[in-house]
Formats: sequence, C-alpha cells, structure tokens
Amino acid sequence: MYLAAPLQAKCSSEAAMASISRYEIMPTPDNYTLWYEYHAGHHAGLRRTMDVLISNGDGFEEATLHDLTSTFISSAKEAEVIREASRSIQEALRSLIEVAHRAGAEADDFGIALTNLAARNYGDNKESLREMVDQLIRESRKMAGKSQSASAEMKDRSTEIEILERNLAQALADARTDSLTGTANRKAFDATIRKLAGDAMNSGDDLALLMVDADRFKHVNDTWGHQVGDEVLRHIAATLKHSVRGQDFVARYGGEEFAVLLPFTDSKSAISVAENVRHALIREPLRLALTPPMGPLTVSIGVACYEPGDPLAEWIGRADAALYQAKGEGRDCVRCA
Amino acid sequence: MPTTTKPTYCLLTDDSPTVRKVARRFLQGSDYELDDAGNGQIALEKCAIRMPDVVLLDWNMPVMNGIEFLRAAREQFGRDHPKIVVCTTESGVDYIREAMASGADDYIIKPFDAPTLHAKLSGVLAAPASV
Ligand SMILES: [Mg+2]
Repeated sequence: MYLAAPLQAKCSSEAAMASISRYEIMPTPDNYTLWYEYHAGHHAGLRRTMDVLISNGDGFEEATLHDLTSTFISSAKEAEVIREASRSIQEALRSLIEVAHRAGAEADDFGIALTNLAARNYGDNKESLREMVDQLIRESRKMAGKSQSASAEMKDRSTEIEILERNLAQALADARTDSLTGTANRKAFDATIRKLAGDAMNSGDDLALLMVDADRFKHVNDTWGHQVGDEVLRHIAATLKHSVRGQDFVARYGGEEFAVLLPFTDSKSAISVAENVRHALIREPLRLALTPPMGPLTVSIGVACYEPGDPLAEWIGRADAALYQAKGEGRDCVRCA
Repeated sequence: MPTTTKPTYCLLTDDSPTVRKVARRFLQGSDYELDDAGNGQIALEKCAIRMPDVVLLDWNMPVMNGIEFLRAAREQFGRDHPKIVVCTTESGVDYIREAMASGADDYIIKPFDAPTLHAKLSGVLAAPASV
C-alpha cells in the first residue's frame, strides 16, 4: 500500500497543479488541497460536484471554491489548523530532505519517500494529516535504523580492512625477511641494492657494500651439526645488526654469507665499519657448551664501492673477490676491492 | 635504416651531473653527438634551436621537470620529434605510466648500465613513427 501511495500522491499533486493552471485558479493552499483531493478521488461527493461544475464550463469563482472546501474538506477553523500543521511538516520535510541528500546514496529511498510526502503537503483533513505525520515518523525511523546499520556495517568493513592490511603488511615483511636470522633476505637485498644504487647514481653520493662470510662454517656444520650452524648464523646476524649504523642495510645473501649496504659511505669508512663488525665478534663471542669446544667465531669481509653506471652484478662481484682475498690471506680480516 | 653517417644528436637532460657524466661516458665513442641540459626549460630551448634525435629525460628536476618538458615538447614539436626516453629511479616507477601516456617513447630505470642505455636509445631511434 505504502509503495503505491507516494506515486499516486505525486500523480494527484501534478494533476492538481495542472487543473489550477488550466482553470486560472488562485494557487492557494486550500485550492491546491481541493484539487488534489478531487484528482485523488477520495471524496465521492466532492468528485461529483466538481465534475458537474467542470462540465457546465462555468469556471471556478473564489466563493465557489471556498464553499467546496468548507463543505467537503473541512471547516475554515480546521483548515487553518491543518494549514499551520502542514507548514511545520513541510519545514521538517525540507530539512529532512537536506539531511537525506547530505547522507548520500544510502538515504536515496528516504529522500524519495520524503519528496512524495512533500507533494501532499497540505493535508485535507485531520485524518490525512495524521496519516502524513505517521508516515513521516515511520520513514524517519526507517532512515535512523538504516543509518545505524549503515554505520555498523561501515565499522565492520573498516575492521575487516584493518585486519587485511595488517595481514598484508605481515606477509610483505615475511616475504622480505630471512626466517632463520631475522635479517632481510636475498629478495629484499636485490630490491634494496637497486634502489640505493639508483639514488647514488642520481645524487653522486657514495655507496659501499660489505660481503661478510663466516669462517670455517663447513667445519662447524660437519663437527657440531646444523643446529649449531644455525646458532652461528644467528649470532653473526645479531652482531652485524648491532655494529652497523642506522642507515645501513643488513641482509642474508645466501648460505653463510651476509651483505651490508652502506649509503653515504666511502671505502675508508666502509672498511672501518667492517673492522667494527670483526672486533664486535671478538668482544662478544658466541658461547656454546660444545664437545669438542668451538674455537673463536670469526668472519672475513670484502668491501667494494659503487661506481655509478657499473652493472650491479659486477659491483657485487668485486666485493666477493675482495672477500675471497681476505679468506686467502688468513681469514678474520677485511679486504677492499 | 638511414644510410647517412650523420651522428645521432642526443640531449642528456638531467639535473644530476653524475647521471649526465655516466651517460656521456657510455655514449662517447659511439655514433652520438652529445649535449647536456640541467632542466626541462634549458632542454626545451635547445630543442627549439636544433631538434635532437633523442632526449634522455630525467623526471625530477628543478625549474621544469620531466613531465612538464614532455608535455611542452609534444605540444610544440609534435608526437614524433624528438624521441624521448624517460629516466627515473625505481621509486619513480609510478610515473612511468604517466610518462608513457604523455608521449614518452620508452623509459630507463636508474641505475642503468651501458648496454641498457645503448639498447633503449637505439630501440626508440629504430622504431617507426607513431600514427
Ligand atoms: Mg633529477
């Protein structure tokens, strides 16, 4: 019923406006209500009387219209009260329509309902006015319920999105982290070296690379097993993280080899960072109760500086060559390409 | 392929002296005639005087940046001249789509090496004119 009513109301109100225009009637609220009710067909008596007047072609004098209103719609007193109430309702409708518009698409249905109510603005009698007020309350409640469920839905959605974002951030971090040592992995290193080399080429700033390799690591694995080997790698990773500077980037390059990227660092400073790492390992040795006991854990380090335009593989190759030179010259030392 | 021995006129447009120096080192000795511009404004003026065959174009530059040069050049000189290779760092990859949509012929990412730069430049120079 209520689905059809607003549409019918719209038709009746349009027809009322057309009639007022056609018969050159003063567009007062009373006259509008009269013609609205005529087209809506709610009052059989009104309908018959007006049909007679129309077919006579006598036109509609102001007095005739007033009589019709008094007779069929309401007493003048009642009409006055109704007009006043209608005005207030229309005010309320206007502001509600504004609210609905501001609320956006969610409120579209509500906006349409209000607009249809507004089309019936001048209630013809108490009953009709009551009906209008009731409908307004119903629609408002419906809208309030809707906006509550809408905000609850939005809250659910944002929580869902937050969880998704957290999971995604975690997955991205995992994808870039070496699970054994907690440093960046090879994939993260490949991306970071490209980025830092691009920045260095752009700015002309220094950029250095350390290749750090655990000495006699195969012997560790063969003698004490892979779990001890893992401890060694974790200890080297922790030492690297503690002994490099904030701007530096530590990654597990592969096997027992770590890589450290040193932005804004020339070869002299890079060598001193490498020496820091070597000394830190001596200062804070890995303490494990093993039989036979493990000798001091040391590393060999190769240093190479980036030359803008050098292929990255060539640069890494120079650092590796320096590392093998350090190995060849007795281990536990730093060599620079 | 052109049979003329006229060298390819290449305008290296970048506010980074290091990038210009590296590109110059890579292209010297090949069949290139090289010139520099420190920003898009200077590059535009040089294009108006003599049209380069190809412009290596940095994205972030003072005075007139890469995208501003790209739009101005395509507006003033048309779609086909000069050939433009946009040169940006990896953090600028988001701009590549915008550059290609604005009339760039190709792009190269910093850091680039000699073989990549040669390949990109000869690639755009060999490409047929766009329709
Ligand atoms: Mg720049």
